[in-house]
Amino acid sequence: MDLVRDLEALAEGARQSIASAPDDRALEELRVRFLGKKGELSAVLRGMGQLTPEERPRVGEVANRVRDEVESLLVRARQRIADDRLEKELQGSRIDVTLPGRRLLPRGHRHPVTRTTEEIVAIFARLGYEVASGTEIELDWYNFEALNIPADHPARDMQDTFYVDEAALGRVGGEGAVLLRTHTSPIQIRAMKRAGAPPVRVVAPGRVYRSDYDQTHTPMFHQVEGICVGPGITFADLKGTLAAFARAFFGAGTRTRVRPSYFPFVEPGAEVDVSCTICAGVGNRAGARCGTCKGTGWLEVLGSGMVHPKVLENVGFDPSAVTGFAFGMGVERMAMLKYGIADLRLFYENDLRFLEQF
Amino acid sequence: MRISLSWLATYVPLPPAEELARRLTDVGLEVEAVERVGAALDGVVAARILSSERHPGAEKLSVCQVEAGQGAVQVVCGATNWKVGDVVPLATPGTRMPAGHRIDRASLRGVDSHGMLCSARELGLSEDAAGLLILPADAVPGTPLARVLGIEDVVLEVNVTPNRADALSHLGIAREVAAATGAAMAYPESGLKQQAPAASSCLRVSIEAPDRCFRYAARVVEGVRIGPSPAWLAGRLEACGVRSISNVVDATNFVLLERGQPLHAFDLDKVAGAEIVVRMARVGEKMVTLDGVERTLSPDDLVIADRDRASALAGVMGGGDSEISAGTTRVLLESAWFEPTGVRRTARRHGFHTEASHRFERGVDPEGVVPALDRCAALIAELSGGTVRRGAVDVHPHRRKPLDVELPWARAGQVLGMPVSRKEARTALLALGFELRATGAKNGKFRVPSWRLDVTREEDLIEEIVRLRGYDAIPETLPAFLSDTPAQPHGALVTERARQALEGAGFSEAVNFSFVAPEDLRPLAPGGGPTGIPIRNPISADLAVMRSSLVPSLLKVLAYNRRQRVEDVRLYEIASTYHPREAGAQDDAPAREDLRLAGVATGRRHPVGWSAGGEPVDFHDLKGALEALLESLGIEGVRFVAGGATFLHPRSAATLEWTSPGGSAVALGVAGEVHPRVAAAFDLPRGVFAFDLSFPALVEAARLVRGHAGVPRFPAVLRDLAVVVANEVESRAVLEGVRAEPLVEDVTLFDVYKGAPIPEGKKNLAMAIRYRAADRTLTDSEADAAHGRIVERLKGELEAELRG
Ligand SMILES: [Zn+2]
Repeated sequence: MDLVRDLEALAEGARQSIASAPDDRALEELRVRFLGKKGELSAVLRGMGQLTPEERPRVGEVANRVRDEVESLLVRARQRIADDRLEKELQGSRIDVTLPGRRLLPRGHRHPVTRTTEEIVAIFARLGYEVASGTEIELDWYNFEALNIPADHPARDMQDTFYVDEAALGRVGGEGAVLLRTHTSPIQIRAMKRAGAPPVRVVAPGRVYRSDYDQTHTPMFHQVEGICVGPGITFADLKGTLAAFARAFFGAGTRTRVRPSYFPFVEPGAEVDVSCTICAGVGNRAGARCGTCKGTGWLEVLGSGMVHPKVLENVGFDPSAVTGFAFGMGVERMAMLKYGIADLRLFYENDLRFLEQF
Repeated sequence: MRISLSWLATYVPLPPAEELARRLTDVGLEVEAVERVGAALDGVVAARILSSERHPGAEKLSVCQVEAGQGAVQVVCGATNWKVGDVVPLATPGTRMPAGHRIDRASLRGVDSHGMLCSARELGLSEDAAGLLILPADAVPGTPLARVLGIEDVVLEVNVTPNRADALSHLGIAREVAAATGAAMAYPESGLKQQAPAASSCLRVSIEAPDRCFRYAARVVEGVRIGPSPAWLAGRLEACGVRSISNVVDATNFVLLERGQPLHAFDLDKVAGAEIVVRMARVGEKMVTLDGVERTLSPDDLVIADRDRASALAGVMGGGDSEISAGTTRVLLESAWFEPTGVRRTARRHGFHTEASHRFERGVDPEGVVPALDRCAALIAELSGGTVRRGAVDVHPHRRKPLDVELPWARAGQVLGMPVSRKEARTALLALGFELRATGAKNGKFRVPSWRLDVTREEDLIEEIVRLRGYDAIPETLPAFLSDTPAQPHGALVTERARQALEGAGFSEAVNFSFVAPEDLRPLAPGGGPTGIPIRNPISADLAVMRSSLVPSLLKVLAYNRRQRVEDVRLYEIASTYHPREAGAQDDAPAREDLRLAGVATGRRHPVGWSAGGEPVDFHDLKGALEALLESLGIEGVRFVAGGATFLHPRSAATLEWTSPGGSAVALGVAGEVHPRVAAAFDLPRGVFAFDLSFPALVEAARLVRGHAGVPRFPAVLRDLAVVVANEVESRAVLEGVRAEPLVEDVTLFDVYKGAPIPEGKKNLAMAIRYRAADRTLTDSEADAAHGRIVERLKGELEAELRG
């Protein structure tokens, strides 16, 4: 039974060499050496032909057992080597987690004027206001006359107006002056005329233009206008709405103050102040006078009032049946207060290093 | 308007300045600043010179012992115009002088000096530098100099809104204070003394334009001696920011600031014919105004003329010819009521904004014309030693009827949203000078005071009531009526999605002025196309036309950023462009405003990093961003057709075409490399890319809510295909040829190759094709057959050759 002895010797050789194999390649060589077509096991089995029929099953049985054993030794050895390798990696050198992340395209940023407009509009949208828009090149009637600001009225001094070359628009004289709207208030008129009948609850953002260019003015800026007209709308509603807006925009602790003022298209008219966003309405910070509110604790942010009956008449509404309030605010000012932007020029330079901060 | 509190206090008792400022702001007269006049003299006190001796080391200096309220102190002095016993100003150590430097204890040539004795010039009080300012002998040592000089005052800067002409004077503000505090007013007496003969015997007045001059009243003061004003008067005017000129002119300004009625004084001897004619200017008529400028008048200008010529622009400014001068002895004093809009037109036409025109434009008190005249005539007589002739020459063609306004008692509460009792309404209105003419169960009828020309209807009365009561009293509520919650309009949703898509593709938003220089638009409109809509009164040549394209503004911003060394820039803007409207447009908008979405990109494709990056942006980066935009808006089937716009490179640009469900082709816009010559015109290098899209077209094409097709349930078969075609063959033609095979689910072009071994003039396109049938598992032979059909089609249509 030399063959059986040879098989046992083969198995023993395989056990030793597989146990000490250092890596996958060595294992593969051992697999070929023991189990390959020209390997040791095949060589032993070639001698089976000389065996008697009685001996064959027994030798065959041993050969199968040896093959199974070598195969399972190989599987276990592969697992051992993989485990060793992983363990080595897990204990090995670290990656540099401080290398900058790989960003194919940094995200773009939205302009702070747009962001602020969106925030304002969203608050009024939650209060049920629809968003409206109007033309920027506007007729004098919508911008002034319909808003109770007749020609040669001193209230026109409040807004230095740009006029548009009418010939370039193909207009003949006498059709009324064409101008760049000085405020978003003409959208009130267009919205009420479009609605045809109350109630009207509209908020209208847009570009406006005034001939003024210095540290605190740009010839173009942005406003958001709002109007709420219907039966039984009161001044108290105006106060409540704008106080709710101020809390939503500037934060829950924001206080509002309403005081008399004059805008020709409202009566009574009101200026709305909010408690200073910098000093929380105290008037000073760390003992020094607050520069943002000039020590008063209040910031002027909104013009407003009850819609003037002449304005309602101008759009065909009956002032004895409906009342309403209107308000307007400057977007750049709101953005400056909310984001602490000190220099108005930054808005229109469009320096990417500024835009990327929003 | 500047309001002096020491002046104001002569008409009404005042609370402390800060409280007064708050009370005025609460009634709608916003106090913008509270300024202490004389604060510049803080630290300077009156000091009596007790003794003096020669400085031991300097001929020209004296060493004085002075008493300044706290015992004798030693001061070194260089002036010589004083004697022992005089009272003079002492700047004590620590005083900041008007010139800016600080007075400190010092040693002058070895002698200690505890401050400085001052001249009027050193104190900023006058140009007199001849010696020390000698104060009245009875001034108490130690008293602050401002008090000694009577210039200690507090001035309020009140922002008077255009509707409140009545508050443009000290008496007007005093009326508001009295109403707000409940204090009693003390109106000043005119103190007028008149003497025969009558003014009418030496002066004739006629009004030829009664629509523009409702009333003209005049008095004559004779025996006048022109001289400086007394200190109290000059001080009052200066506190209000008005320069003291002479007793007569100052008297008119004093009454203007007291009562809000502008007055004008003429030298009667220079009024030709002793005749005043209030008339419209004649065509081509000329006049020299007080500022020395000769002006050609318009027939719409109202003038005050004598027999021969115009001598004042009515209500705006006087003329040089009849001006009060040092030799004037007979004064003609004018007090009138001019129609506001006419005054405004004249003032604007000639570029004036004077104290007089400011008030006439807003409407002065029609009943205050004559009282102001009397007050001023009396003051001139008192200040100049003259006598007032008997009677006023008062031409009054247009008598004003008092206005009565009805107030339904319930109305105030309805508008304000809080109860307002009849008594509260009445009390507030009476305090403000309204008279109750009639009272009924439902209404009260109030007579509006003559100075409140702004009050004409019930809403105005309600405002009066609530502003006196204080807006704080009004509660805060929310509107009771509910409308539907409006759905977000499609356009707004598209805007938000578009912004997100572009920001995701690395574009930041720019917001540019709508106006540009015409030259900025010219490179975009070769051949003399339109260059924007001109503004008639632009603020600068750079901002002179309303832009017809967003692209120039964006290119300028690119150039600006590059100058700041910011080189990788992607920007977009959504804004209107401006154009003449089309004939037959339905709305009444004067211009056509097209909303556009434009963007620019330059610099590197990816930021340079440690692992990759640094290649420049190219057309296909821009196209990729636009494809992402279109995909986010659900716009399908957009074709990029070669050829863009004149501002783009003719060989590196495309037009985006979309086919509407109705089958019509819609151009969404253009994209490409900015034409090298246009780039150069904006100081930009090559490699700037831009797109310009019609926003309404995007809104129309956008499908934000789409149906879905489920998920495929049968496996796909994948095959690669490589074909060689001529360079001129667009890849779109090849891909469309592949997609024409019905079993093709998708095809990805994964390589474009030119160069050996591909023959010159040809390119190799490598594609991965995915075949799938929706209803069964595709067999290999079906896929092979489909693949074969594609190869045959590409060979036939595009002369493509198959590559292994
Ligand atoms: Zn503050």
